[in-house]
Amino acid sequence: MPDSWQQANRDHKAAHHELLTLTASSDRCLRTVWLNPFDNQLSVAEMEITQGCFPSLAVNLPETAWDEREIHDMFGWTPTGHPDLRPLIRTPRWPEAYFPLRKSQQMPQWLEVEPDLPSLKVEGDGVTIMKVGPTHAGIIESGHFIFSLIGENILHLDAHLFQNHRGVEALLEDTTVNEVAPLVTRICAADTVSNQTNWASAVERLAGFTPAPRTVLQRIILLEAERILSHLNDLAQIPAGVGFQVAHQRALALKESWQRSLEFLYGHRFLFDTVHPGWTRSAPADLLLNSLANLRRHWVPWRQLVVGHHGFADRMGGIGQTTLAQIDRFGAQGVAARAAGKTFDARQSTAYYEGFFTGPVTRSAGDVQARFDVRLDEVEASMQIIESAAGQLEIESPTEPEFLAPKDLSGRIVTFTESPHGLNSHDVTLSNGNVFRYHIRSAPFRNWPLLAQTVAGNAVADFPLINKSFELCYSCTDR
Amino acid sequence: MAKAIRSLQIRHVDAGSCNGCEQELTALTGRDYDIQRHGIDIVASPRHADSLIVTGPVTDTMALPLERVWETIPRPRVRIAFGNCAIGTGVFQRAYASHGGLADSDIEIPGCPPHPETALRLLSEWMTSHQRNRQTYVSKVTNLGNC
Repeated sequence: MPDSWQQANRDHKAAHHELLTLTASSDRCLRTVWLNPFDNQLSVAEMEITQGCFPSLAVNLPETAWDEREIHDMFGWTPTGHPDLRPLIRTPRWPEAYFPLRKSQQMPQWLEVEPDLPSLKVEGDGVTIMKVGPTHAGIIESGHFIFSLIGENILHLDAHLFQNHRGVEALLEDTTVNEVAPLVTRICAADTVSNQTNWASAVERLAGFTPAPRTVLQRIILLEAERILSHLNDLAQIPAGVGFQVAHQRALALKESWQRSLEFLYGHRFLFDTVHPGWTRSAPADLLLNSLANLRRHWVPWRQLVVGHHGFADRMGGIGQTTLAQIDRFGAQGVAARAAGKTFDARQSTAYYEGFFTGPVTRSAGDVQARFDVRLDEVEASMQIIESAAGQLEIESPTEPEFLAPKDLSGRIVTFTESPHGLNSHDVTLSNGNVFRYHIRSAPFRNWPLLAQTVAGNAVADFPLINKSFELCYSCTDR
Repeated sequence: MAKAIRSLQIRHVDAGSCNGCEQELTALTGRDYDIQRHGIDIVASPRHADSLIVTGPVTDTMALPLERVWETIPRPRVRIAFGNCAIGTGVFQRAYASHGGLADSDIEIPGCPPHPETALRLLSEWMTSHQRNRQTYVSKVTNLGNC
């Protein structure tokens, strides 16, 4: 069994499948789910964990290294042969025998010690250690970074995340089907529609319910509206990373005007609580198209400003380069992967996007400039998708079938969407209308280890710029 | 001697937020809200600050770093809970690694996340209704007789 576990997963990777989830559950089931991007089929590999151990995949598949460390922290089961089993989420403050995802755990009594974890540093002549965080000199999420520097250049970065770990998965396992939506909505403000859609489709598919075409169109519009919002935020932060204040402030103003439109259309500036199992908040097509036209009116001159600015281009080109080989090795996703030439966007594997999605936006340079440019093009592609979906809203009748999730809904399912950050998967197990296991795997979780690799060799002063161009979310990684 | 509050310099610490509150704080610094014209600003060091804004339900890992930032802020100083999670009314209060919000906050700015307009209004109102003393901020409404 262990051999076949490793072999099966290696085979999927060799066939260029995308890893959706690798996780365990308290019934000692270890499971990976892979997406075949060529025929859009999902495949499952499973094994039972016996004697608290399972064979590690991390040496051959580095993208699984963090997943296995997470399982080690949360369940206490050991991936045998894992090259780096330092705690990922646990801190020295956690009681030794506390494993939050094993069932029937009492609330922990935290130990009165510092939360710092052992770090990996480079030692030797001329090497300086620079620690940053967990609190930062700006409005940023919390993370702790240990840089080993030689002169001004980064030799090695050890990123300690999970400062924002709330315990969302364990909290979800305490809920009934009707209580999940408000929690899932608030895992991450930048990927909220994607998370809500994953949950809604999980319930609908387990219940054998097909949402009305109009509901599906509204979901596409909301997913794209969220992509525009999140990309505008990232596009505003990248100029800030090089001190290009005019572009930064004007992009923030663009984002603000889009948020005001979303509040007017859907009642929330971040689209919280808009997608539910069976129904979706809707907005009239004409108002939606008006808002989009207004955004475009300001977007076009802003794009001209940033694209035509040579000084800005000079600061982005060649900085923070990744190669396609690194992207594949780490299973990286989203904008960062496409900017290095990976031709995968989960929308191409999502049935309801057929006829709307025209293919992934890619670049090949893999630097800050490429990541900036992919976002520029994706914003415009999203505007076009919203326009064509809004056009069809008129045709579809507004009557919606009633849907109530069955009280005894049971089963296990994996759903995914392309969030603004990349491939976002939920592995949901329901038992008699209660959540038995809820696993959330977002793209930034895969991309963080790649970021640490990418920054090596770059000037430490460029770290904020490179970091902003990846725009990795802490909250959906830490959960 | 008491002085009216004309400025509020804020240090921000994220203690488990979903990033929505951060984005709205950033929006406050943009040209549409422009908190600087109200004398309010987000500063880079707690040494430059006279207030602490906390977002998120206070995760266990951030609980100590958060208090360390608070200890570094010179007096008089004020603790601000930004958003429902920090106030203690958010959806993640019961999560095992959440401490259930910011203890002993002086100002609460509700919302999930708070609307920038709400935040601006509540901060401005607090500034006009309080005075700066050597050690603490005192409410003009209740303590006028002592000044």
